[in-house]
Amino acid sequence: MKALAALSLLVLMGLLAVGVSGVFPRPAVPPAEDVAAEWGAKNVVAAIVLGVRLWDTLFEILVYAMTMVGVKLGLRLLRWEHAIPPVRETPLLRRSADLLLGPIVVFALYVAVSGHLGPGGGFPAGAILGTALLLLALAKGVERLSAEIHEPSLEWAEYGAIVAILAVAGGLLLVGVRGSGYLIAANVLIALEVGIGAWVVLHRFASSRGEV
Amino acid sequence: MGAILFSALTLALAVFALTQRRLLWGVIGVGAHSLALAGVYLFLAAPDVALTQAAIGFGLVTFIYLLALRRTGKLTVVAVETPPLLHQEGQRVAGLEWEILSRFGRHLHQDVEVLWVTRAEIPRLLRAGEADIGAGGFLPRSEDRVLISRPLVPTRIVTVRCAPGPLGAVAGDRGEDHLPADRATYEDHRELASALGAGEVGGAVADLLHVRQWILSGEIPPVETTDHEETSFRLAVAPGEEDVHQALDAFLAKLEANGELAQLVRRYVG
Repeated sequence: MKALAALSLLVLMGLLAVGVSGVFPRPAVPPAEDVAAEWGAKNVVAAIVLGVRLWDTLFEILVYAMTMVGVKLGLRLLRWEHAIPPVRETPLLRRSADLLLGPIVVFALYVAVSGHLGPGGGFPAGAILGTALLLLALAKGVERLSAEIHEPSLEWAEYGAIVAILAVAGGLLLVGVRGSGYLIAANVLIALEVGIGAWVVLHRFASSRGEV
Repeated sequence: MGAILFSALTLALAVFALTQRRLLWGVIGVGAHSLALAGVYLFLAAPDVALTQAAIGFGLVTFIYLLALRRTGKLTVVAVETPPLLHQEGQRVAGLEWEILSRFGRHLHQDVEVLWVTRAEIPRLLRAGEADIGAGGFLPRSEDRVLISRPLVPTRIVTVRCAPGPLGAVAGDRGEDHLPADRATYEDHRELASALGAGEVGGAVADLLHVRQWILSGEIPPVETTDHEETSFRLAVAPGEEDVHQALDAFLAKLEANGELAQLVRRYVG
């Protein structure tokens, strides 16, 4: 058994050595700056994620959406029978949530809209948006916030965003149009999807019993 | 250089988070660790990854942990409203059992939260693990299949009879054991008392505490009573919570030994 393990370790190390030795020719990759310029972006990462590797990004978005739907369906069986009473509001938390909410949402929008020019993009923007909703949930209680933001219609907005992303990306992959306007639209839609998805998953976890 | 400094900070914060005894400090440590990790990414010329790490690791995950802490760090008590043992007084809960439960919560460093339910629901919620403790004039029965604490307040099960007719009791209460075949059950003691007052039932089987209250408040006329058995109000503990059960019994034994329990009973029940 030990000999076998040592042998497979040697084989793996050999494979690694062959891989880095330059026996296989490297694919010709244009300079990163050229790629970015071609897609109308200054941020190379945005050009690659939303341009060169758009297929990967699309499937990541689909996986995220499937996770959300799975959590929603799976946790339906584990609801609390008695709604947990909301925690008493503390003025400190409430005031700081009020103060911070605006800046956080504006920053999320900024990160989404400027994602093709600097660091950022749809995914971090969505996560920041989810954080804003979570902060409100801490201050107000999960169930109350869920009612106030009309969660069912938000969920439909998320499904709409997924369809829009697929339509935009599908059209682009088939037609081959490029430009910074497309990158902005895709980033904003992804931010919407990720932000709402984070909230929905969190709400399901918070309103379900612990044992799964 | 910056990357090395931030790496060292990351490691130190991870150790800090792991060694905290209080969960809240652990969560804060994990959040700070994520932020330091974002700094490492920043110095390694990956600002996109740094931004995502900060948003997910520091923002989202920390908030999720805080929300979870809020949900789990407390004792959930399901109870029947039973003055003077456990009842709502405006915004707050009061009563003899509340004194004991709130002190017990402080003893365990946990917040106590009371949900009002009916007597029949208590054993089901405890067995389902939705609550830790059942209270509010809880008289144990064998079919409850929950853990039972030491006795708190002694009482008796009696039958009160005002008129001929069937006997009534609260569903799931100890009194139900003494009902004849001709029976009627009600959700709580208030419904039972109003049925008794309306003449729906000729009498009721209940504990002395409730019967005394009915007679004192004039809800039922002074009547003939028959004794059934001596028993005691106790607290019920969820079957899975062996630790809570042992801690509660030890806590009650201490209250009994130093005479505080007797003092509380004199003050609240008389």
